[in-house]
Amino acid sequence: MRLPRHWQLWAMLAPAIAFVGVFAYIPMYGIQLAFRKFTFQNGLTGGEWVGLKYFEQFFESPLFWTLMRNTVTISLATLVVGFVAPILLALIVNQVVHAGRKRFMQTATYLPHFISTVVIVGMLQVFLSPSSGLLTRLAGLAGVTDVNFLGDTSTFVPVYVISDIWQHCGWNSIIYLAALSRVDTQLYEAAKIDGASRLKLVRHVDVPALVPTMVVLLILSMGGVLSTGFEKVLLMQNTLNLPVSEVISTYVYKIGILSSQFSYSTAIGLFNTLINFVFLVVTNQIAKRVSGTSLW
Amino acid sequence: MASRTRLWCAVTLASVLALSACSGADESEGGGGNTLRILVSKHPLTGPMKDMGWVAELEKKANVKITWEEVSADWDQKKAAMLAAGDVPDLIVGTNAINSTDLATFGTLFEDLKDDLDKLPNVKALFQAKPQLQAMATQPGGEIYTVPGYKRFWPETVTHQYINKDWLKNLGLKTPTTWDELYDVLVAFKEKDANGNGDANDEIPMDWSPVGTTGFGYFQPSVLLGSLGLPIAAGGGQGYFVEDGKVGNFLVDERYRQVLEFLHKCYAAGLVSKDVMTQDYSAYQSVARGKGDVAKVGFSWGWTASDRFGAQLAGQYEATAPLLAEAGQSTPVTWTYDSYAENFPANQIAMSAATENKEAALRVIDAFYDQDLSIQVLFGEFGQNITKVSDKEYKVLPPADGKSDPSTWKWTTTIADNGPTWIRDDIEVDLPTDLQEAVVQAEPLMPALKNMDLKQDVYPGQFIQMTAEDLNTLALSNQTILNITQPKFAQWITKGGIAEQWDAYVKQVNDSGLPANVSIFQRYYDKYAAQHS
Repeated sequence: MRLPRHWQLWAMLAPAIAFVGVFAYIPMYGIQLAFRKFTFQNGLTGGEWVGLKYFEQFFESPLFWTLMRNTVTISLATLVVGFVAPILLALIVNQVVHAGRKRFMQTATYLPHFISTVVIVGMLQVFLSPSSGLLTRLAGLAGVTDVNFLGDTSTFVPVYVISDIWQHCGWNSIIYLAALSRVDTQLYEAAKIDGASRLKLVRHVDVPALVPTMVVLLILSMGGVLSTGFEKVLLMQNTLNLPVSEVISTYVYKIGILSSQFSYSTAIGLFNTLINFVFLVVTNQIAKRVSGTSLW
Repeated sequence: MASRTRLWCAVTLASVLALSACSGADESEGGGGNTLRILVSKHPLTGPMKDMGWVAELEKKANVKITWEEVSADWDQKKAAMLAAGDVPDLIVGTNAINSTDLATFGTLFEDLKDDLDKLPNVKALFQAKPQLQAMATQPGGEIYTVPGYKRFWPETVTHQYINKDWLKNLGLKTPTTWDELYDVLVAFKEKDANGNGDANDEIPMDWSPVGTTGFGYFQPSVLLGSLGLPIAAGGGQGYFVEDGKVGNFLVDERYRQVLEFLHKCYAAGLVSKDVMTQDYSAYQSVARGKGDVAKVGFSWGWTASDRFGAQLAGQYEATAPLLAEAGQSTPVTWTYDSYAENFPANQIAMSAATENKEAALRVIDAFYDQDLSIQVLFGEFGQNITKVSDKEYKVLPPADGKSDPSTWKWTTTIADNGPTWIRDDIEVDLPTDLQEAVVQAEPLMPALKNMDLKQDVYPGQFIQMTAEDLNTLALSNQTILNITQPKFAQWITKGGIAEQWDAYVKQVNDSGLPANVSIFQRYYDKYAAQHS
């Protein structure tokens, strides 16, 4: 075999390929667990073949539609708002001229990213407590009384999404700021000479520069459309909001880890992954047609 | 997503370890024939094993050297990966660290101790003294994978009921004995300045511990079912109970509906903490500790007054008897019977089937159930925590650390209730003050507990081992059922609507597999009752 021309590059890539192979591809043989009745004595691959039994069990479960609806609602809301917010933030930060202020704003917005989920949920519990919460009282002053933000089924998704945006918006905007810093300054000058206002500069210079980044990130996040933040949802769950907060991942945790239903939970996990994969492919195709940017 | 990743980890780990297991067998001999690897699942407060005085005694008695693997957090996740990988240390110590569901799936990973009882004289004697423990340890197929324990001194109930007697006195009220009287008292707590600090709005008339999405537990209003004569155990759990030998589930019982209607009446009148459905356990505990001498909570449930309200406020509260649903009712009241779970802790120690030093492991198991060691495991080492007065008399000492309370002190200095223990019936122990307090404060509840026939009214779930097949059926349906019932519990109390929704709710729960689950419980109960009549 002839050594590839860029063998140095391949050598550098090798550890990454090996890593993905060992930790992503080899374990895939375990997927057959979803089609077998798992008994420990017979091992991972020795259980009785039951075909699609566990998938049918999931589809026929009275919880199926609730789980699907909750999961899609939470993740779509996070995806849409979480996609737009960092772009807006990046455009705003980019408008700040003073270097020191710009740095301060950037740091201040991305710091919450490093707070752990448990602490964030603890903070939500304190701020939103129906009897003593700071935000609940502020809402009371604004005329919104008798709302239990932590328990109401209609406020669970907004609380989840808004706190998520607050936490991750700054961090996610870094990649857009990087894209904006590469915009050729001649473009701004040319536009200004043509009489463009500040808003027009943003609209016709900045935004087009961001489109390729936006498309790639959108496709990537569509690949996780059914994946919700497991820890945060589980921590925020209580008996009042359970009808809207039970999602696929928390259900898999309860049924798979706590009740040892390994085959059943593997089947649900596999189903989840398949849906995500379909979304990824479809978004990619649409992006290719519409904007000419795509992953492959 | 994360849980799926976790499952993948388990799967990957399993494959990696399966490979290494072939070559690893002869290498691990290096540690010497007398070294044992013991995993212990501890309370987060508990200090390192090497600091516990009784550990040296255990090593000496069993003539082994022990390498401890100490787990204080996330045991459930670690366990799933460990069992799936088949990588079990020589012994696993911890009450229900390996539970019955695990044994149904992974039983073969553990050594069947049935044939080894002759080498376990203490365990054998324990089984003779308490035959129900042998029943409890025996799997449906006859194997004994784990040894349970006997703690003897715990009161028959964990949930005690308290009312602030100072508030009653301030307002010139009497201790309520019925639901209606309780309602009137709570209204007075709410409307007047019961704690006398000048603010009439800072009193929380009633509060209870957070009801989870996976069922009911201690310190929750499920005990009010007792007012209507419905006997529950361990706080209620997933709703299954037995009454006159017939298994049912209170989640679809008319009496549960009456309790919820009463609680809604209280909630609607502002008598229940607004945070009751959303606060976590630590918030629930800390609010009841009040501020200085000013109490905040009027009526609640807890383990002891000092634990629930703090040492400073404990004196303001009195333990009260179960309430009547209405004055002069003919139905005898009941309470929650928790003694089985507390005094007969299940699955305390298990041995790996692959252990290379079986004799030594057997000696360690047996040593744990020794009279002196058992009491040290439970309350702490001799000298520091206990004085041994004579061969049959022991005195548990107050905390050496003056700032600590007896319960915290116990949990920091020993593995306590997580350790394998057999407290003999013929010894005398001067109990720590928290346990004494719990026993005293359970006295008003005793008549109600006496109304429950242990054979006919308490489900002996603790002593019954089910097959994997049945456990699977139960788990799947219960998950669906609780997803219906727990939100409804919260919703009906806070928002009402039970009158219109009850019938549809009962039908929905029954359609989710409840009757099949009840009949599984009934089948095991009948078998158990026949064996122990």
